[in-house]
This record gives sequence, C-alpha cells and structure tokens, in this order.
Amino acid sequence: MLKILTSTFMLIPLTWYSKKPWLWLNTTMHSFIISIWSLTLLYHDSDLGYNYNNYFSLDSLSGPLLILSCWLLPLMIIASQNHLAHEPLVRKKIYLTTLIILQLSLIMAFTASELIMFYILFETTLIPTLIIITRWGSQNERLNAGLYFLFYTLMGSLPLLVALLYLHNNLGSLHMLTMTLVAPTLDSSMSTSLLWYACMMAFMVKMPLYGLHLWLPKAHVEAPIAGSMVLAAILLKLGGYGIMRITAFTEPFTSTLCYPFMILSLWGMIMTSSICLRQTDLKSLIAYSSISHMGLVIIAALMQSPMGFMGATVLMVAHGLTSSMLFCLANTNYERTHSRTLILTRGLQMILPLMCAWWLLASLANLAQPPSINLLGELLVIMTSFSWSNFSLILLGTNTVITAVYSLYMLITSQRGKFTDHIYPIKPTLTREHMLMTLHLLPLLIISTCPKFILGVTY
Amino acid sequence: MIRRALQVGFSRGLLTRGLRTRSGGPFNDRDGKWAEFKKKLQVFWPGGSWEPFTDTSHLPPEHADVVIVGGGVIGWSVAYWLKRLEARKNALRVLVVEQDPTYSMASTGLSIGGIRQQFSLPQNIQLSLFSIEFLRNINEYLAVPDEPLLDIQFNPSGYLLLASEEKAAVMEHNVKIQRQEGAKVCLLSPKQLKDKFPWINTEGIALASYGLENEGWFDPWCLLQGLRRKALSMGVYHSHGKVVNLVSSVRSMMTSSGEQVDLKRIYEVHVKVDNSLECQPVECAIVINAAGAWSGEVAELAGIGIGSPGTLQGTRLPVEPRKRYVYVWHCPEGPGLEAPLLTDITGSYFRREGLGGYYLGGCSPMEEEEPDTKDLEVDHDFFQKKVWPYLAQRIPAFNSLKVRSAWAGFYDYNTFDQNGIVGPHPLVSNMYFATGFSGHGLQHAPGVGRAVAEVLLNGNFNTIDLNPFSFNRFYRGKKVLENNII
Repeated sequence: MLKILTSTFMLIPLTWYSKKPWLWLNTTMHSFIISIWSLTLLYHDSDLGYNYNNYFSLDSLSGPLLILSCWLLPLMIIASQNHLAHEPLVRKKIYLTTLIILQLSLIMAFTASELIMFYILFETTLIPTLIIITRWGSQNERLNAGLYFLFYTLMGSLPLLVALLYLHNNLGSLHMLTMTLVAPTLDSSMSTSLLWYACMMAFMVKMPLYGLHLWLPKAHVEAPIAGSMVLAAILLKLGGYGIMRITAFTEPFTSTLCYPFMILSLWGMIMTSSICLRQTDLKSLIAYSSISHMGLVIIAALMQSPMGFMGATVLMVAHGLTSSMLFCLANTNYERTHSRTLILTRGLQMILPLMCAWWLLASLANLAQPPSINLLGELLVIMTSFSWSNFSLILLGTNTVITAVYSLYMLITSQRGKFTDHIYPIKPTLTREHMLMTLHLLPLLIISTCPKFILGVTY
Repeated sequence: MIRRALQVGFSRGLLTRGLRTRSGGPFNDRDGKWAEFKKKLQVFWPGGSWEPFTDTSHLPPEHADVVIVGGGVIGWSVAYWLKRLEARKNALRVLVVEQDPTYSMASTGLSIGGIRQQFSLPQNIQLSLFSIEFLRNINEYLAVPDEPLLDIQFNPSGYLLLASEEKAAVMEHNVKIQRQEGAKVCLLSPKQLKDKFPWINTEGIALASYGLENEGWFDPWCLLQGLRRKALSMGVYHSHGKVVNLVSSVRSMMTSSGEQVDLKRIYEVHVKVDNSLECQPVECAIVINAAGAWSGEVAELAGIGIGSPGTLQGTRLPVEPRKRYVYVWHCPEGPGLEAPLLTDITGSYFRREGLGGYYLGGCSPMEEEEPDTKDLEVDHDFFQKKVWPYLAQRIPAFNSLKVRSAWAGFYDYNTFDQNGIVGPHPLVSNMYFATGFSGHGLQHAPGVGRAVAEVLLNGNFNTIDLNPFSFNRFYRGKKVLENNII
C-alpha cells in the first residue's frame, strides 16, 4: 500500500520542483509508472484479498477500482495540457497538485478497510473536485454547478454519518472483515427503515439515482476535461462501491426497502436515455448517458445476488473507461471549435478520419457492443434483474435500445454528413490525443479477453 | 373565459399573476436585494470599494456559440432566424453585440423604409419577394405571447422608376427578369404615365416601370424592435458594447504555387462595454459580421485585407460608410395620396410621408461629391442645388415647397459592386458576412437573415441562392452589378 500512497504523495514535490519544460512529462511519466505497478494488484488469490495493515486492505472489488483511478491520473494530466497551456506556471502546478490530492483521497477511499475512514475520504474527494470545477471551468454557470454538486452530496452524506456512528456504537467496529461476521440486531421498525435509507442516500446521490441526479449534468458540463474525466470515471463509482459495502450491514431489510430505488433506477434509466436524444450539448449528452449506465449499477448492487455484484463491478470499470474516453473525444472537439454544441461540429469523418475511428469505438463500447466488457456487465445486470422481476426485462430492454439509439445519434451527428464550412481548417489530431484515446481503449479491449479479473468478489 | 372566471374566483389567491408567470418567491429580484443589502452593509462597515461578488450582469456571457457583431436589422434578423431554424430548442447560444443602444448612427433607424422588387439581379428580387411576404405576415413570424402585436404600417404605394431614352432598353430587360421571378411590375409609356399620374411632367422620359403590388414603404423601427423582441424571447443574449478585438488561431499553409496563406479561426471576441473600461472576452465558435457601415473595420480586426494586394490574403472587405441625406418638406399642392416612391432619371427620389402633405426625398450624390462621413450633419445646400431643381422639373407642384427637416444616415456601401456580401470568408473560416447592401439592406433583412442561418446550420443555401454574393468575387474580380441603385 505504501508503494502507491507514498509515490502518489511524492508526485506533489515532483510538480513543484519541476522546471517548466519538464512539468508535464515528469508528472505524466511518474503517475504512469505508478499505474503500471498497480496493475499487479489485479491478481487475487484468496477471497480475503490483501490486508496491508489495520487501515488499508484491498479485495477483488476495490482492486479494479483502485487500478482504474491510478490509470486515470496520467490520462487526466495528458488531457489537460491544452487548456492549461496559457496559464502561468504556478497555476498549472496548483492544478496538478489538486488532481494529485484528489487521487490520494481516492486511493485511500478505495483501500479503506474501516467504514468511517471510507466516509471521511468520500467527503474529502469533494473539495478538490469543487476547486477544479469552480476555478477552471469555462463558463459562468460553473458556480451554480459547484454549488449543486457540493450541496447535493453533503445533504446525502450527513445521514450516512449518523448511521455509521450508530452502527459503530452498536457493533463496536466497522472494519470490513468483521462485517461479515457480526450482524447488527435490527428489528423491522421505522427506525431501521430510516437507518437503511440514511445509509443509502449518500451513495444514491453520488451514483446518481434518477431523482437526485440534477447535479451531474451541471457538474460534468461545466468542469474542465480532467474534472469531467474523474467525475465520470471514478467519483460515480464511489457510490456503487459504497452501496456494495454498506449493504453487508443491513442484511435482511434490503430486499424489502430497496423497492423505491429499484423503481426509480429502472424508470430513470429510460428517462435519462430519452433525454440524451434531445440534447444539443455534446457534454451534456455524455453526462446523461452516465446517469443511465449508473442506473444499471444501482439495480445490480441493490439486488445483492452474486451475478448482480459481478455485473455491477464489471459495469463500473467498463463505464469508467468508456465515459472518460467520450469526454476526452468531446474535449478534442471543444478545443478546436470552442463550442460544445453538437450541430456546429458535424461531418468530422471527412476532416479527421482517425479521430472518427476512436469515436466509432467509443460509441460502440457505450452501446454495449459485444465482445466488450460493457456488454458483459449489462447482460449480467439484465439477468439478475430478470430474476428479481420478470417485468423489469421490458424496461431494461427498452433502455438497451434507446442507449443504442443515442450513441449512434451522437456518432452520426458528429461524424457523418456534410461538414459545416467553418470547420475545415481545424488543426489535425495531435499524437497526444491519439495516445489518450489508445490508453483508454486498450484496457477496455484487453480486459474483454479475460474479464475474470474485474468480476469482483462473487466470481 | 376560463382565465377571467379563475381570476374572479381566486383573485386573492393563487392566480393573481395570471396563468403563465412564475414567482421565484424570496428569490425574486435577487440582484436588487443583494445591491440593497450591500448598501446597508456599507453604512455599518465602510470600507474600500473591493467587493467579492461584483455584479456582472451588464457584461456579455463568457462563452457564446455565435457572436453577431452589429445589432441592426440584419444582425437581429440573423439572430432570429438562427433561433428559428435550429433543430432543437436552445441548441445555439447566440450573442448580439451592439455598440450604440440608442441606434443614433445606425442605418436601420435612419432609413426611409422602402421595399421594392424592381431590381436587376434575380437574387435581389427573390429576397424582396420573401421580405414582403414576411412583412405582410409579420405577426405570424414575430408575435410574442402577452405582448402587443406589431403594426408595420406598410404603405403599398409602389415604386415608380423613370427611364430616359438610353436606359429604356435596360429597364425593359430588368422588368422581364422581375416578371420571371414573380414580381408584379408593369411598364408605362409616357402617355400612360401622364394619364395615371397627371402631376408628372413627362419630358425626357421614355419608359417607366411601376410596381403594382408588394412595393411601398414601412416602418423600419417597428421591424427592428419586432425582430429584437422575438429573438430575445427565444433566448438570444445581447450586449451593449463595441468589439475591439478578434483573437484567432492561425495555421500557416502553403498553396501549390508557393504562396503562404494564413488560415484563421476566430476563437475569442473582445467586447468593450459602453462607458466603462471593462473588456470581456467572449469565447465563440462563429462570428457574423453584420456591422453595417462599420463592417470594414470589424473585418480588419480579423485580419481580412492585411496582406499584399492582389492576393486572397490582401483582399479587403470593400464596405465603407457613405452619407446620404433625406429631406422632409411640406407641399400642400403636391401629388397626394396615390404618389408612389418616384425615382427620377437624374437619381433623385421622393415619397409621400404621412397624410398631411409632407414628402421626403433625396438623391445619391456622384462619386466625386461624396460627403465626408465623420458625422451625420446635413448639408442643406445639397438639397437646393442637387435635389430640388430636378424634382421641381419632374413634378411642377414641387416648385413651391418648404423644407421642414432633414437627417442623414449611412449606407453600408460596397465600393466594388454595390451589392451585399453574404457567406463565409475563404480564409477566416468562421467569419460570416451579412453586410454591404448599399441602401437596400433593410428591405432584404428577413431574407438575408434566413440565408445566413441556413448556410451556418446546413452548409448551403436552401431557399434563396446567394452564392453570387460571396466574398470570393472580390478576389476573382467578378462584379455582380445591380443596375437599379437608388
């Protein structure tokens, strides 16, 4: 554990001591080395995982998520090079430091073995993200976006704090290893329901669940590219991870109390997918698509079945990479035309054909094309939801169709057709951008050859 | 009826504000309350003038998809049509930047508001035909809920163009083209002219063309306000300020003949706010130059025309302001209500103004006698020497008249061929032009707005083909001349 933590922490002096020509190279290289090392954590030989010490442990659920967040740091740094090019050196370093602090909190959050520590780090991730959104976003609405993001999450997580303190009092310890052995003595009363909802709300807001999702389109659209990437890829998964951990404590009640969230997720997936079809802003389209995919994860996580947990984990990892890649692609458009509107950047296949290849692959991954792991996750979720209720198949099937429709709509509008006159002299694709897309896509394709590493605890 | 019943029934309750408004409750007038709160705070806590949250509502937004430079009738027409033709609601963020909110020097308000189809270019005729259809149905296009309807005050009196012996053949040819496009124009011989309008002295006239329908004059201010109101209601942003800088990213490329060409893309527009030193950079994807008489200056900001002459790089936008005078006089013995807008063979024109025996008119000066364009001061001698004699000769009743007032306005004069420039620039790829109409911009505004919106959203002209009006003709030297310039 110290291998990751100390090295990530040392990235901060690395940024501050780097000279100007070396800044980006140093940070990218070193964070990339850390992420390559973290790939060794893919191998788990026992159900208990790795236990480094009292505070940090890693099992086959948190392992893939940790690797995902380590992998994304160099990608975020690569993607931010352009929009930070004109800023003074100190401000670039502050930006990188904020990203690294966020990374540290994420690493510790995923490897935390005590639930209170997880909660503290869950809250800690809010602050660097808020700084990135409100300081480096590009429009006036970002203040509003930051406000929504902060207060939605805080409102959700305050009850969680109370619930965790109660559980700690009740059980004596909130360590992950002990939670399977000790069950709280809960009776089926109103206070238990409240306890259950208190535990769940924070993660539902984070996921986000359909009724609590208003912060996400705002935050994603107004954030700079690194902010969008980390939000879509990792921070949303904190919610899913949290649900899967905390439901161990509330054992017999989840199957009855999860109904509202299941219904909201099932309906919400279709709603947000349909909203995608009407979006005019490219980033907003991808943000709503994230909500739709996370709805599937909520369904799977609340099912508490082995297949469900497998589906949730796979979908989280797959969506992290796909969504982050789509945001990077949208950002390449934005950097060239300075507009996020979908209709102003059309017909790019003629002008940037290689980028079209990346758009195609990302869109196909988004719509769960076989043999990608997105499909694996969706299929597992559909199977587990069908076992819960036969009728949910209709809703899930509709969602799959609409997901395909909007992914293809996004692809066709941005790539095919006649290009608008004012686009033809845009800069050709930089190698840095190609590398960014490759680094997103390569893990996605390689994992699909052997998905057992990311299938989580119940494989 | 239901609304009235509800109001009677619930007058004290939920629906005192009507069915369509929404109150923000304690958040109504947030900015006003914040300003009051700051004032109260200053009483207790007098400090410096630094404040953490300054009110920036007067600044344009930091980002807009399309920035339209120029808030005259062409600018607002483009904004309206962009919002109307966009595929989904709120797809585009459009910002209109106008340097003078009083429109004191803008061509729109100072125009006499004439509309005619008697042009020699088919495109001009088609634009006028669409515009008159737009104006006749203006409330179907521009009505805003809960606001009064527009009254464009269209006087369908027609245009009467007179031609001498040498120009008669051209006029006949033009009328043929106009009829082909669908304009209703008739040709009159001098005898027919005298029968129809007995107050004309037909000496020297060989032929006259008279617009029977869809020609006349209207209130330009009403059109501008109507377009503006509707565009604002559709979500167009506007800002009062002057565009001082256009920042672009440059790609230098080499043509096959070894010449270096700079392909530019404007990505930021710097807007300097009125009466203030604040300059707001607006990040944009597309800039539309609808600045009228000042379009040449705006084009230079983008670097158009800065280069060796004869190259595409060095081809400037040949639009400059030209001052034109309009005089209003009173003549009780004058032509009366039936008088069309008459254009004499000498170039002077007049039309009836109102119902009290007032007329207005003027004349385009010769190239050599162009007045200077520093300001809008009127030269009354021009009327005495260049307008009155010819008008008095043509209409004997005008021998005794009394000039009541006069004003001057600018033509956004295209020195190359006196026709508009519509479409993108070949090198600065995201600057679109909609300017240079040399006196017939107002009557073409609805059509031009729609054309620019089409070329921006679809990539080509769908309804009226304005390809001959592109910027390329300045480089190629192909003039698109209009014979009937007033």
